[in-house]
Amino acid sequence: RTLSFFILHETASGYALFERIESEEIGQELEEVQQSVTDLARFSKSIKLRSFAPFKSAAHALENIMDVSEGVVNPSLKAFLEMNMPKASKKQAVQLGVSESNLGGGIKAELGYDCVHNDIVRELLRGIRLHADRLLAQLKEGDLDKAQLGLGHAYSRAKVKFNVNRADNMIM
Amino acid sequence: GRGGARGGAKVVVEPHRHEGIFIARGKEDMLVTKNLVVGESVYGEKRISVDNADQTKTEYRVWNPFRSKLAAGVLGGVDNIHIGPGKKVLYLGAASGTSVSHVADVVGPTGLVFAVEFSHRPGRDLINMAKKRTNVIPIIEDARHPHKYRMLVPMVDVIFADVAQPDQARIVTMNAHMFLKNGGHVVISVKANCIDSTVAADIVFAKEVKKLEEERVKAQEQLTLEPYERDHALVIGVYRRQKKAKTSE
Repeated sequence: RTLSFFILHETASGYALFERIESEEIGQELEEVQQSVTDLARFSKSIKLRSFAPFKSAAHALENIMDVSEGVVNPSLKAFLEMNMPKASKKQAVQLGVSESNLGGGIKAELGYDCVHNDIVRELLRGIRLHADRLLAQLKEGDLDKAQLGLGHAYSRAKVKFNVNRADNMIM
Repeated sequence: GRGGARGGAKVVVEPHRHEGIFIARGKEDMLVTKNLVVGESVYGEKRISVDNADQTKTEYRVWNPFRSKLAAGVLGGVDNIHIGPGKKVLYLGAASGTSVSHVADVVGPTGLVFAVEFSHRPGRDLINMAKKRTNVIPIIEDARHPHKYRMLVPMVDVIFADVAQPDQARIVTMNAHMFLKNGGHVVISVKANCIDSTVAADIVFAKEVKKLEEERVKAQEQLTLEPYERDHALVIGVYRRQKKAKTSE
């Protein structure tokens, strides 16, 4: 039974799903993974972008980061995974590497995928984060920076909830 | 002159040994950063305008070492702060953003500062400061849970931390494991009595260094922040320092 191994990477611009090539070796070579992730030429041989779904608007991005940060599977994330993850079969096992175990638990409960959150996944995500600009071909250089800036403000405003121009809020 | 730092013509600004930081030489020497938002102070700090040779003006803001651990470290003679033009900085414990605003000046328009603060009250000031300084990404969230802001932060060159929490070393290394490049640096302000008030400051610092080393941060420098802060040290380390590539034989 062969194993297909996928990795979910959540960005400020949208959701990205990567597939790991040569996945039979998983679990045996943490050190090798650590060495390979810094070198884009090497890393991009071991990992391929399967799909990227950009957020439709700033409000859509905010709704999704709110759910991701709480480990909740947003309907957009569910639809993205359903569309892009292959079905497990007798011949093929499918695993999904995730950044955080609560979200992994939610995905497992909603979609049934076997979710993995271990040292190798963390290391691969470091590599994806490092090379995100190049791996996400749909994005131009600087797009992620801009998305992070906009979403950082939106997320932070939502967190403090009240009007940030607090001088305007006189309590009478 | 009477106008203090605004004396203008009498003040000469020279680059500091650390790129992106400057010294204003007047009646007294002052640490300054080049103001990214000309004409505005962030927290009432003095500004100095200097005439350039080509008729243009450059504005600097005075960086008070009593209000910023990083400024205290620079004046204390730290060897390398690893924060300079174009760098990406993850700043933990951003508070209301006064010190962050100077870091934003130092990294300049090509750098980015991801500023994390959990308390809402200072967080509002941080958000407002970041509206003007577009190289600052405000993140109102708990630095103990870096996965909550993973969509907002890329791999960074340096993590600066001033969180004054007993588990500071753990907070910093959790963030490093997710966001710090191999060979990147951590710069941590350690306040001894926030960690353990029952033992001498030196012992606290040594224990913090050991905790960092267990998580792949090799301490490179430790500096007291006297006379600006009591029982504070700036600890600087390198994360996952890369060995030289093996040459094939």
